[in-house]
Amino acid sequence: MKEPAKTFGELLERHEREIFAYALRLTGRREEADDLYQETFLAAFRGWPPPRRDHERAWLYKIATNKAIDLDRRRRPTVSIEDLRLAAPDRDGITLLDLGSAIKTLPAGQRAAFVMRTVEGRPYREVAVALECSEEAARTRVSEATKKVRAALR
Amino acid sequence: MNAGSPDVIADARERLIARARREHLVTLGYSVLDSPLGPLWTAVGPRGVATISYGQEPDARELRRLVAVFGPGIVPDRKRTDEVARELDQYFAGKRREFDVAADLTGLTPFYGAILRATARVPYGKVTTYREVAKRAGNERASRAAGGALSWNPIPIVVPCHRVVATDGSLGGYAGGLDAKRRLLALERGEAPEGGWPSKRGLTRRSRSA
Repeated sequence: MKEPAKTFGELLERHEREIFAYALRLTGRREEADDLYQETFLAAFRGWPPPRRDHERAWLYKIATNKAIDLDRRRRPTVSIEDLRLAAPDRDGITLLDLGSAIKTLPAGQRAAFVMRTVEGRPYREVAVALECSEEAARTRVSEATKKVRAALR
Repeated sequence: MNAGSPDVIADARERLIARARREHLVTLGYSVLDSPLGPLWTAVGPRGVATISYGQEPDARELRRLVAVFGPGIVPDRKRTDEVARELDQYFAGKRREFDVAADLTGLTPFYGAILRATARVPYGKVTTYREVAKRAGNERASRAAGGALSWNPIPIVVPCHRVVATDGSLGGYAGGLDAKRRLLALERGEAPEGGWPSKRGLTRRSRSA
């Protein structure tokens, strides 16, 4: 059983490559992966010490996933007209405000899934990685979220 | 785009360390320096050099001491070790006789600190004995304790414990091995040692990407 890291340096040397690769998979962009990597390790340093035993890696993955959702929210506070059509293709005259409010009513898991899939157009595989669930579960969340958003816009 | 590219991560890491420093989360910056005596794991804080460990990483005891004194905020940071790297390079090239970088003796016992300070005053190219160092540290009868303290000098080379030998003239001990001690003493006598000084590559900094 591996001892938890004793220093920030040890934590970085053990996990930074993997976390950077994960950040890249989640964000798909170098600059955003860079930010996510930094936010993840800063949060780990602030939240020191790491959990006991073998949970150190899972701890970092969880931080990275939550930070990815945070960064997403900050970066994309509004939705484009194109995305609006995707979300509600059979309605005219829906404002961004309407859609924004509809998305806000979704539970967090569904909201993240909906935004990542429908708004950002990411593959289900990435949505599943970010939300730590199966692809099947990610599809279900998106589908339920889409139904709710449509209902809210009627 | 290659996620595993060391440069990509090195850039991100540099920015991370800068941010962590601004938040006062960092205490020491370290890197592994190449030297003619092999790799030296070297850590530097605001008060100076905290440790120089022979090898790619500090041994478990030294790491425990560093964490006890400086906390967990010990990060890879080549910028922090640049100055001592340059001075060590000059020293190994025979172009430097004294170090300008400070030695950070925070957290050591008063006796330990006194022994190391007495050792730091032994001039380049000279040798002295454990008994003499103990005497200068204020306790002539503590030569064995002085030997013990110097067997675990956290900052070898900069605090030149290689200049301290046994009273009977034998070399005594050395953390980097007796061969390293012999080579350092030969360097300071101006002798061209086997294998040649300085190393061909000089003291280059190596990243510690795991």
